[in-house]
Amino acid sequence: MRNATRVRSIFALIVFAGSGWASAEDVAVIPPDELVYCTVCHGIQMRGNQNILAPRLSEMADWYVELQLNAFKNGWRGTHEADLPGMEMRPMAAALSASQITAAAQFVNATRSPLPEKTIDGDIAAGKRNYVSCAVCHGENGEGNPALHAPALTGLDDWYLITQLRNYRDGIRGSNPADTYGVQMRATVQILGDDQAMLDVVRYITTLHSD
Amino acid sequence: MKNLSRRNFLGMVGAAGGSSAIYKTSLAMGLLADTGPMAMLDLQRSDPGRKSVAILGAGIAGLTIAYELERVGYDCTIIEASHRVGGRNLTLRHGDIVDEMGQRQVCNFDDDPEMYFNAGPARLPGHHKRAMHYCKALQVPLQIKANINRAAYTHDTEHFDGKPMRLAEYIADARGFLSELLSKAIDKNAFDQPLSEEDQLRLRDFVRSYGDLDENGRYKGTSRAGYASGGFLSHGKIKQPIEFSALLDSNYWRRGLSSSENFDWGEPLMEAVGGMDNIVRGFVRNIKSPIVLHAQVQAIELQNQGIDVYYNHKGERKKLHADYCFNSIPTHLMKGIPNNFSKDYNDGLSALRPGNFFKLGLQMRERFWEREGIYGGITNTNQRINQIWYPSHGIHSQKGVVLGAYTFWGQSNFFERMTPDERIKFAGDAGNKIHKGYADYIEAGVSIPWGRMNHMMGCGGRMSPEDEKTYFELIRQPEGGHYMVGDQISFHSSWQEGAFASAEYALLDLDQRVRATATGMG
Ligand SMILES: Cc1cc2nc3c(=O)[nH]c(=O)nc-3n(C[C@H](O)[C@H](O)[C@H](O)COP(=O)(O)OP(=O)(O)OC[C@H]3O[C@@H](n4cnc5c(N)ncnc54)[C@H](O)[C@@H]3O)c2cc1C
Repeated sequence: MRNATRVRSIFALIVFAGSGWASAEDVAVIPPDELVYCTVCHGIQMRGNQNILAPRLSEMADWYVELQLNAFKNGWRGTHEADLPGMEMRPMAAALSASQITAAAQFVNATRSPLPEKTIDGDIAAGKRNYVSCAVCHGENGEGNPALHAPALTGLDDWYLITQLRNYRDGIRGSNPADTYGVQMRATVQILGDDQAMLDVVRYITTLHSD
Repeated sequence: MKNLSRRNFLGMVGAAGGSSAIYKTSLAMGLLADTGPMAMLDLQRSDPGRKSVAILGAGIAGLTIAYELERVGYDCTIIEASHRVGGRNLTLRHGDIVDEMGQRQVCNFDDDPEMYFNAGPARLPGHHKRAMHYCKALQVPLQIKANINRAAYTHDTEHFDGKPMRLAEYIADARGFLSELLSKAIDKNAFDQPLSEEDQLRLRDFVRSYGDLDENGRYKGTSRAGYASGGFLSHGKIKQPIEFSALLDSNYWRRGLSSSENFDWGEPLMEAVGGMDNIVRGFVRNIKSPIVLHAQVQAIELQNQGIDVYYNHKGERKKLHADYCFNSIPTHLMKGIPNNFSKDYNDGLSALRPGNFFKLGLQMRERFWEREGIYGGITNTNQRINQIWYPSHGIHSQKGVVLGAYTFWGQSNFFERMTPDERIKFAGDAGNKIHKGYADYIEAGVSIPWGRMNHMMGCGGRMSPEDEKTYFELIRQPEGGHYMVGDQISFHSSWQEGAFASAEYALLDLDQRVRATATGMG
C-alpha cells in the first residue's frame, strides 16, 4: 500500500503504484465488512463472475446501482421464476437499509477492474444500425444519460447484456407497472426484433468500451 | 529400570535406535499426546524459516495442509474469508451464526452442548482411512451413528394411503417377492445356461433364506417385517405382505432402498462425539500457524519465485509472499478473483460446477420418535424435505435435534427461495404427515442452504464427464507453486475424505519437488 486517498468520504482508494502486474488492478477500494458480500458473487472489485452468472459492475454509476438495488428490494426484479440469478440477488438487496444501499452504490462506483472479455458473436455493422434506437437514451457511445435514467452500457458483460435484453423481451424484467423505466425499456426492446438483432446490437455495444 | 521415567526410557530407546524408534515406541506406549500427534505423511523436513506457504481457506483441506507442513518446518499462514474456521465442516449450537447471503440467522437452540446440528458433514464410514487417521491422531472421539434404521419409515403421500411404513416391512416384502420370482425361475430352470442340479439346490437355499420363503419357495410374509401383534407373551402374528403391485408402484425402491448398499453409507457409520466440528477443533488445537479470519483473498499472482497473495484484513489490503500456495477456495468463485494463471488452468477451474445441498435442523421439545421405537436413522419421504434424521446421541434425554430436511442439487432451489421461517413452517407441515403432532414439538430451527452461504455459494463441485477428461488432471497439477486443493479436486467431492485425499496428493507432490531440488543441488 503506497498511497491512499479517500473516495466520497467512505472508501479508501488504494493505488498500488508500479506493482508491475498488468492483469491485477492497480487501484482497489476496500469494502467495509457488510459489503464484502457483494464481492463474493460479483468478484473482487465487482469484476464479475460468469460461473455463477454475477455480472461485472465495476465503476457503475451510483444512481443506477441504487435504482436497481431498490428494484430488487421492491420485487420489481428477482421475483420472476425464470430469473434464477435475479432471485439469487433479491434477498441480498432486501436485507439492505436505505443508507446501506447508498453505501453499496458508492462502493460499486468506486471499484475498478479490467474490461470484460467478449463471449458472444454478432454482426457489428448490423448492430450499429440497430443501436440507433438505443442511442436516443443510452447515448451515442453508450455513456448513459442520468436525466433519462438510462444507464451506461459500456463495461458490462456481453452475456449479461443479452440476458437482460431477452428478459425485457420476455417480460421477465420491466413488467411491474411501478418500475417506470423498466416498463419503458421493455417497450423499446420490442423494436429490436429477433434474437439475432439483439446479439448484433450487443456485439456492437462491446466495441464502445473505451480503455 | 524401576525408577526410569517414560521420558528417560524413550531417551535410551532413541540413543539405541534413532528418533523413529522413539516414535514407534511412543506409539506402543500410548504416549502419543506426550510427543505430539503423529503426522500422516513422511514429508521431508525443511529448516524453519526457509520455506513459506500460503494456505487459502481454513476448511478441512487447508487445515490438513497446515498441520502436516508446520510439523516439518514450513512457515504456514492460513487466510480465511469467513468469520470462522472450518468451511463446510459446520456444527451449529446455541448462538452460532448462519452466514446465509441476505438472510443471516442466529441458531436459537438451547444453550446445551447436546443440542447441536451438523449442517455440513454428519457421517463417516470406517473405510475413509484418512479421516479415521486424523480423528485418531487429533484425539477426536467418534461414536456409531445409525444411518439406516429398519424401525424408521418410508413415506409417500401417493402410496400406501399416505401412511408411513416401517422400513423393516418394506424391505422384507420387497426381498420376499423378488426371491419368490427367482424361485419360480429355478423351478423352470429358466436360465441361459441350465444350472447343474447341485447349483439349483444351492440357489434354492440361497433364495429361500434371502427372502424368507416357505418350503415351496413361496413368500407368505415374515417375522422380519415386524409382527402384526404379539411376539412376547403370545406367539407373534405375521403381517400380511404388501400387494406386490403396490410395492412396485411405490417409489422407495427407487429412492432410498439401496442407499445403504452405497459403500460410503454402509452401516455402521460414525460421527464425532459432540458435533462433527470437533475435527476442526482438533486441528486448531494442534496447529500453531496463524489463521487470519475475515481475510478475503483479493488476488493471486504467480511470480518467477513463489507467489504473491493479496487479501483484505481490517480495512487494509495486505500482501503475503510465499514459496507455495495451497488454495481451497471454491473453484466457481475463482473467476471472480484476479490471478495470472494460464487460460487452460482457469478454464479447468470454471469447468467445476457447484452443487447446492440444503439442510434444516429442528430442536424438538420431546423425543417423540423414541416412543415410536425409533432410535437414530433416517425416514424417507416423497415430500420436498426428502428425509428426517433422528439423533443417535442423547437417547432417552428430554430433547433432541432432528434433521427436518435434506435436499440435493436442483431440489434445494425450492428452499433457497424461502425465508428461514417459511422453511421451518414447511418442514413442520411435511413432518406432520409422518409423525402426529410433529410441528408442535418444534422449539427452534436453523436452515443452511449451501448454495447461498457466504464465501461458498455452492458445494461439492462436479465436472461433466467430458470436462473431467479435459481438465481434471490439469487442475490437480500445480500451476507454478500454486496447488488447487479441497474435496473439489478429488473424485469424492462432498466427503471430507475427498478433502483429506486432495491435501495428501498435493503434499506428496510438493514433497517430491522439494526432494528433487534438494538432491539436484547436491
Ligand atoms: C450438506 C453437506 C453434507 C455433507 N456430508 C458429509 C458427510 O456426511 N461426511 C463427510 O465426510 N463429508 C460431508 N460433506 C463434505 C464435507 O463438508 C467437505 O468435503 C469438506 O468439508 C470440504 O473441505 P474443503 O477444505 O475442501 O472445503 P471448504 O470447507 O469448502 O473450505 C473452503 C474455505 O475457503 C474459504 N474461502 C472462500 N473464498 C475465500 C476467499 N476469497 N479468501 C479466503 N478464503 C475463502 C471458505 O470460507 C471455506 O472456509 C458434506 C457437505 C455438505 C455441504
